[in-house]
Amino acid sequence: MALKALDIYKLLPKKNCKECGDPTCLTFAMKLASGKGDLEKCPYLDPGAKNILGASTRPPIQLVKIGVGERRFAVGEEFVLFRHEKTFYHPPGIMFEVSDLWSGKEIEAVTRRVGSEHYVRVGTDLTFSGVAIRNESGDPDQFAEAVGVVEATGTHVPEVLMAHDPAVQEAGLKKCGNFRPLIYSATIDSYKPLCALAKKFGSPLVVSAKDLLSLGELTKLCNAEGINDLLLDLSFPSLREYIPAATEVRQKSILRSAPELGYPVFLDTTRYPMQDAALILGIDKYAGVIVTRALSPASSVAALTLRQNIYTDPQKPIQMNPGIYPVGNPGKESPVLLTVNFSLTYFTVQGYLESSRVPCYMFIVDTEGLSVLTAVAAGKLNEALVRDSIKKFDLEHLVSHRRLIIPGYASPLSGKIEEETGWKVLVGPRDAAEIGDYLAKEWKS
Amino acid sequence: MSENSPDSSGKIGYVVLGATKAEGGTRTVSFRLGGESDLPFIGMNTGQGSIPLVAFEICDDPEYWSPIVTSYTGDLSNDAREWAGVAEKQYGADIIRLYLTSTKRRGFDNFSSITTVMEEVLSGTGLPLVVEGSNEPAIDSDVFQRCGEAGEGERLLLGTAEAGRYRSVAAAALAYHHSVLAQSPIDINLAKQLNILLREIGVKADHIMIDPYTGTLGYGFEYSYSVMERIRSAALKGDTDLAMPMITSATDSLSVKEVREADPAALEDIAVEWEFYAALSSAIAGSSVVCVRHPKTVPLLKSAFRELWAGKMPGEA
Amino acid sequence: MPTVTFLPSYRKITVDAGSTVLDAIQRAQIQMNVVCGGQGKCGKCVVFIKNGSVEFDREKFGRFFTAEELAQGACLACEAVIGDDLHVLIPESSLIQQQKILMESLGIETVFSPSVWKYYVELSPPTLEDPSPDLTRLVWGIQKQGGPLAEKMYAPLDVLRWMPRVLRDSGWRVTATLALVPGGFRIIDLEKGDTRSEIYGVAIDLGTTTVVAYIRSLADGRIVGIASNYNRQISCGEDILSRVNYARKNGLPKLQALAAESINLAITTAANGAGIDREDIYEVVVAGNTIMTHILLGIDPAYMIEEPYVPVVRRYLTTAAPRLGIEVAQDASVFIFPAVSDFIGGDIIADVLASGMGEKDEISLLVDIGTNFEVVLGNREWMFSCAGAAGPALEGGEVLFGMRANPGAIERISIDPITLEPEFQTINSVKPVGICGSGLIDLLADLLRACVVDRTGRINTGIIHPRVRQGDHFPEYVIAWKTETGNNKDIVITENDIKNLIMSKASILAACITLMKQAGITRNELSAIYFSGAFGNYINKENAIMIGLIPEVAIDHIRNIGNGAVEGANMALINRKKRKTLDEIAKNIAYIELNAEPSFMDEYTGSSFLPHTDLALFPRVEKMLDECRLKKIPVGVP
Ligand code: SF4
Ligand code: FES
Repeated sequence: MALKALDIYKLLPKKNCKECGDPTCLTFAMKLASGKGDLEKCPYLDPGAKNILGASTRPPIQLVKIGVGERRFAVGEEFVLFRHEKTFYHPPGIMFEVSDLWSGKEIEAVTRRVGSEHYVRVGTDLTFSGVAIRNESGDPDQFAEAVGVVEATGTHVPEVLMAHDPAVQEAGLKKCGNFRPLIYSATIDSYKPLCALAKKFGSPLVVSAKDLLSLGELTKLCNAEGINDLLLDLSFPSLREYIPAATEVRQKSILRSAPELGYPVFLDTTRYPMQDAALILGIDKYAGVIVTRALSPASSVAALTLRQNIYTDPQKPIQMNPGIYPVGNPGKESPVLLTVNFSLTYFTVQGYLESSRVPCYMFIVDTEGLSVLTAVAAGKLNEALVRDSIKKFDLEHLVSHRRLIIPGYASPLSGKIEEETGWKVLVGPRDAAEIGDYLAKEWKS
Repeated sequence: MSENSPDSSGKIGYVVLGATKAEGGTRTVSFRLGGESDLPFIGMNTGQGSIPLVAFEICDDPEYWSPIVTSYTGDLSNDAREWAGVAEKQYGADIIRLYLTSTKRRGFDNFSSITTVMEEVLSGTGLPLVVEGSNEPAIDSDVFQRCGEAGEGERLLLGTAEAGRYRSVAAAALAYHHSVLAQSPIDINLAKQLNILLREIGVKADHIMIDPYTGTLGYGFEYSYSVMERIRSAALKGDTDLAMPMITSATDSLSVKEVREADPAALEDIAVEWEFYAALSSAIAGSSVVCVRHPKTVPLLKSAFRELWAGKMPGEA
Repeated sequence: MPTVTFLPSYRKITVDAGSTVLDAIQRAQIQMNVVCGGQGKCGKCVVFIKNGSVEFDREKFGRFFTAEELAQGACLACEAVIGDDLHVLIPESSLIQQQKILMESLGIETVFSPSVWKYYVELSPPTLEDPSPDLTRLVWGIQKQGGPLAEKMYAPLDVLRWMPRVLRDSGWRVTATLALVPGGFRIIDLEKGDTRSEIYGVAIDLGTTTVVAYIRSLADGRIVGIASNYNRQISCGEDILSRVNYARKNGLPKLQALAAESINLAITTAANGAGIDREDIYEVVVAGNTIMTHILLGIDPAYMIEEPYVPVVRRYLTTAAPRLGIEVAQDASVFIFPAVSDFIGGDIIADVLASGMGEKDEISLLVDIGTNFEVVLGNREWMFSCAGAAGPALEGGEVLFGMRANPGAIERISIDPITLEPEFQTINSVKPVGICGSGLIDLLADLLRACVVDRTGRINTGIIHPRVRQGDHFPEYVIAWKTETGNNKDIVITENDIKNLIMSKASILAACITLMKQAGITRNELSAIYFSGAFGNYINKENAIMIGLIPEVAIDHIRNIGNGAVEGANMALINRKKRKTLDEIAKNIAYIELNAEPSFMDEYTGSSFLPHTDLALFPRVEKMLDECRLKKIPVGVP
């Protein structure tokens, strides 16, 4: 866990010379503590202090990049066990499986789907991450051919080459080795040739073993071969083992008590009877790369949404698009309720409005995702914004009245909004749960 | 150091739901929830805790229920007794959660009907019950009184207590020895505050379950997920005011846009997946009971829990 | 043009049709309570229309009045628009009244080391043999008297202009006043005869609400006069934001003038009281919040309230008194305290100086409470600070019967936990008309002890007692029955009032905890908590901890430093060496922006509970509450 500002301050030279660009050593320490500062900016730091500070800021989990170009993704470089402690940075890649026993058409179809399928949620494009090509034929040429089919689609999606036999791997790598595919997987028996391949093609490598202890041994052996871009295969025979193992890996690596486990996690969900359950586990609990059979449309949206949820920054609220959102079937005389575009505020208010059964309009203004309280305090929610938003979303034509209900916490603005917009402002409750009651009692059209 | 390394002292307390004949009730099973001293799905093979349970939600007035469910169940949802029985025997639920939606009608005052519904559902199923009382503070006291009385001896879980509205439900729970479902809006502090308030008017910790409120997938689920993780971590670190088992229900799963506006052919699948993803993740975050509304979600969750669970099963010593 | 006649004074004024009654009142220079700055929100500017009529939205503002009051023509001055001739009755309660202001001195010892001096010299007149110029003659004389080196002294033009006259008229017996300036000493005054005892300086706290002036003799450092009055800018809006808004609308010159006027008023009152001449005041030291000092300097403060919140000046400043309109000796200078940030101003630096926390190895916490609050944590080596809006509840705003510490305000109250009967004391011991900040803290603490409210501040309506009842909008507790009050109304505190109060205290406590967490300091490591601010001295410390206004520490670790701003200004006035440390202090204090602190909201919700959600932070309070609860029959069990 990061050092506190004061602990860092104690290690700084205390010259207050401003050369780091900060007015004092203390403010510089605060920056470092929040992860925003750059240690190198202080020229007077002694080497001992630099070591201590440097170690606490170096990521405890190796960053591993998979693929090249636009669809390339990176995993690892995480710092915490729970997202609320800071955030999770690198969402797991979800790779759809294809087999070299399949027809070229089938392989192509799955690849193309990964290449083009996407969902837009709260302004972000959600996609699957790549294709995992499994060698089931045992034949190097057939594997190479399957890889060739994937390559030929021109989708440039990242790949996992799933072949245990080094000869088969090499055949596949010859087709796509320039594109940093993930090699799956090295065991205690095969790590030497596979490390050699990984080195030759600059590819990251998954290591497999029966338990965490042997995995740790194996990573050390691979390091000795010069390979550091590794993933740990935690697809143990029973799904029951996954959460304890993945949690242990995360804990030990962030505590830096087992640097040999400081790598992202690989999970092959296809081997479990309940693939969806395994996928959920992987998303929730620390997986870096997940292989699945192509998902049903229903699972697809759910999985991508869950991944988005788990990997949003808890300190940066998700924003709604500003605008007017009807609840029920509102008409010209229906109430208009103003609120902010912090998504949780929106959803909470919307929930209570729906249960109030009073048709109405939610009028969402852009406070850059701040909640009402903070938006008022920071001056983001102000009369000018309300005035401009009324124009922008043409509220005046939507309803025939001129009454606007504002959140209770925005009451200090009521006068100014009235003045600026000419609308009559009604101050609603502070607590969204009281909104139904409020409408029932106060709103007479 | 991680804020929540598991080498901590705390333990989730126990709450018992349901009472069998031997325990003075009429249920065929009862569950003792809680007892974990580690993160979810981790300490299970050392005998801690119990497998997460699945509660199926029904109501006494389906007008207020999702059409996705009522079109699946057909007439069944008009008869709470039958519905509860089917949920137990066909869907395979562990617990029935009854919403008294009839109290939502404007001017509701037919309090004796509550007793009737309660009696029907209790006779329709042998499973432990969670009962959600009124939606209107003005009638809280009457409604909870009836629920509590009708379920005397059955060790119900009575809901919902909130910070501004906990006295009536607590009074009914105390009078008839039920537990209280304590709901707070996705905030660890508020969850804790409510538990303190309940404790201070006499509700014991082993009669409280925390409902941290669950926004469904894509609609605030990330907040709920983290609040659950925080509650569990705090409890493990020894905060006894948060060391109660959790119950969660991503109630909005069936009404969000992705589900509501799905292509009719895919609607059911999407509804089920949406519930499944949120519910399983809630269990992973620490929820002991997950509640769902679509009948098809129940067996999915049950088998997922069996696949993940390496500890003792309910009923085992 | 319509004529408005004010009752009971019968003062008349003509105004343009379309002006508000408040405009008219302000033009007539009647000091009216305008807490919200005339936005129709505080309901404090009540007037009664006796003859004639005004345009006033009775429906919208009806909530401020009883039906009876409405029938008598009650309306809000700021919302009532004048069309025709009027008679307006201004009730006493709507006027600003003399406030009780803290003036006790801290009693901290500091070295006497002023920066102006007087020297009396008797010179020999020039002769043909000794034709050296007047100035040379004077400075040599001063040096001979033990003054600075002659070549270090100089005189500005205006002093030179009257120098020959004064020297000759006095028969070469004069008193020169010297001020220390960079690089030397400036002769700022020359008087006939020996006036060495008539040398004074004044320390000013320029607050948003009040201005306090201490006049001290700079011959020996003793206090000779104290006075205080309202900041006259109040007529342009009660809180700091409305002032800035006023400045934005081309109001800066007026605000600047009002600031100077308020200072002048305080100085004059103090000087008159002490029987001294303002012309003998040679130095002014001003500590104020960053916005107030900007306004006094005539610098536009507008950019400070917008992101990224940048003040224009942050170092200490010295300027000539006349340039700011401060009426003291012609050549006197004004020393203005430096600031840390827009929110941590010279007043807080002065607090830190007065508390001495910046000179100790032990860690202390300083809390300055007003409508805005500031918190500083640290010691000799490092300091963190933050600031925020506490809301007006602790100053009596946003509370139905809340008021400032004026006569008739309940300032102390206790409630018998069994009978629920209150016992209280009002300012000036008159019949109660409302309750002020210190009373509110007592009240909340005792309502909690008596289990009338739960820890979220909600009133237990299950209690059957005449004082606990459902009010028009919220449940309420009756503090005083209408038969015992001075305004013929039941004085109550509502659940909503309590909510506002808890929001205020929660922001302060959350700020303290956030700073402590940032620094990694626990409450056990705090050697002292300093309370500063106008009402700090009247707070019951035990009750402040009981409700969780500040972290729990041993009672004897809490110190009131009273008006820290004026204390600090005093120190800087009599000990010029302290001034040098001010920029150091300002530089040492790191400012933490609470809005950017992700954990602050969390701390805030945690603090929105009595005393705090984490009961382990308040072990003593918990023990006390447990004992209180034992005495009560558990509520909620049928
Ligand atoms: S450069 Fe180093 S010594 Fe200088 S102020 Fe910055 S942190 Fe302090
Ligand atoms: S209501 Fe008129 S000044 Fe506040």
